[in-house]
Amino acid sequence: MRRLIVVPGLAALLALAVAGLLRSAGPAARTDPVAATAAELRCPACQGESVVDSPSPIAASMRQVIADHLAQGRSREEIRRWFVARYGDEVLAQPPARGPGLLLWVVPAIALLGAGAAAARTLRPRLAGSARRSGARTRWPRHPGSARRSGGRTRWPRHPGGARRADGATSRWSPGPVCSLTAAGLIALVAAVAVAADGLAPPAPPPADPAAVALRLAWDLEGRQQYEAAAQMYREALRERTDDGVQLRLAFALLRSSDAAGAERAAREVLDHAPESPDGLLVLGLAQRATRPADATATLRRFLAVAPSHPAAAEIRRLLDP
Amino acid sequence: MNPAIRRSWWRRVGLAPATVLLLTVGLGALLVRHRSGPDDVGRPAVAAPALAGTTLDGTWFDLAAVRGQVVLVNVFASWCGPCRDELPLLAETALRWSPQGLRVVGLNLRDGPEAVRTLLKQTQAEQLTVLPDPDGTRAVDWGVRGVPETFVVDRDGRIVAYQPGVVTRQWLQDQLSPLLGAA
Repeated sequence: MRRLIVVPGLAALLALAVAGLLRSAGPAARTDPVAATAAELRCPACQGESVVDSPSPIAASMRQVIADHLAQGRSREEIRRWFVARYGDEVLAQPPARGPGLLLWVVPAIALLGAGAAAARTLRPRLAGSARRSGARTRWPRHPGSARRSGGRTRWPRHPGGARRADGATSRWSPGPVCSLTAAGLIALVAAVAVAADGLAPPAPPPADPAAVALRLAWDLEGRQQYEAAAQMYREALRERTDDGVQLRLAFALLRSSDAAGAERAAREVLDHAPESPDGLLVLGLAQRATRPADATATLRRFLAVAPSHPAAAEIRRLLDP
Repeated sequence: MNPAIRRSWWRRVGLAPATVLLLTVGLGALLVRHRSGPDDVGRPAVAAPALAGTTLDGTWFDLAAVRGQVVLVNVFASWCGPCRDELPLLAETALRWSPQGLRVVGLNLRDGPEAVRTLLKQTQAEQLTVLPDPDGTRAVDWGVRGVPETFVVDRDGRIVAYQPGVVTRQWLQDQLSPLLGAA
């Protein structure tokens, strides 16, 4: 009965572990070469994040460098080498197994082998002993105490060595302490590697909020009348966080950079869920003057109806009724 | 327990875990030494990557053109609090050591000119040479991991010291005086 539960349980756990391993080890399908290359690099300012996933400013700069290098015709391998020359092997998501990094592969293997060997050593004498005693097949008592209660000799000893001694086995050594001490040694080994691994990457300061950085840049660019570049920074900020205010700033920046169609799209995104947004209506109306002059007047009149005291209202009134 | 059995037990049982434990401690010590060594002391002297461009005040700066001077390259941004804190010290350092041939250059990472001008004014560091790096690609070329970070480039154009995080007066003194005193 116990075996009926334990064996499928172990099989299920093993299957899940293998599935998880395959899933995490398998390469993610990325069509964008910048993203694919960035996925192979670790963000140096973060813990366990790749350059493609990290929102930190330095990861954004690394993505830009990758894009520049790809545009110059460099191969992904060349780009990887370029980054390794600056940041070391640690920048690779899968660093080559050498030096202390080799321990990360070797220690789990040793631990598994050790645990397997210990388990085999613990189970084998008992199985063999039980088989010998019961004739053909191993008997598994339902409960450790049941065999004792039924009058027979204990077949589920608290400790495998105890059974041997009770059976008068000739071996002079006891595997019990061996197992405990080996297990303690293995645990100490794993713990030591964990502690040492913690020392491998000192905790980095939290990265600055990339959306705030992008917004600050966008405002500066707008101040210098570089509306196209400002719109790009607003887009970057919106990638981090959607925000109607930023969306409208993007729409205004696009309008000023003479991209009326883009401004219209940006304004509509806000108006889709906030149809009465005065700024949304204003920028949409102004954009429509270039894209669909027939609709512009109606939109701008709606703007005046919604926000008659808006700072831009007087100007729009002059525009509509010259 | 019979002493003979006990001795035999110890020989069979004690060796394996004791070996594992000893190996563990040895490896751990080795790893800790290996890791803490080079990172704290600094990177080995390597040729500094190129650093040239128009500064915040519109003049041209080229690291290759100031060969023969000691250059302190500080990577900073107005959105980084610790950078703000260390700027007055860097301005003071520039003032103090410039007669001996020190040049302090700020590499301004992913920032806006207005924001950085305000910061320099607030921290009285306006005389620093500031090279904007709006997309951060120059910083990546230097292997920058975050802000602030400081590199010391010697008179031969080699990076001889590197400090991730805020610099202290002592660190600057220790790194700069051997380079500038020898002049």
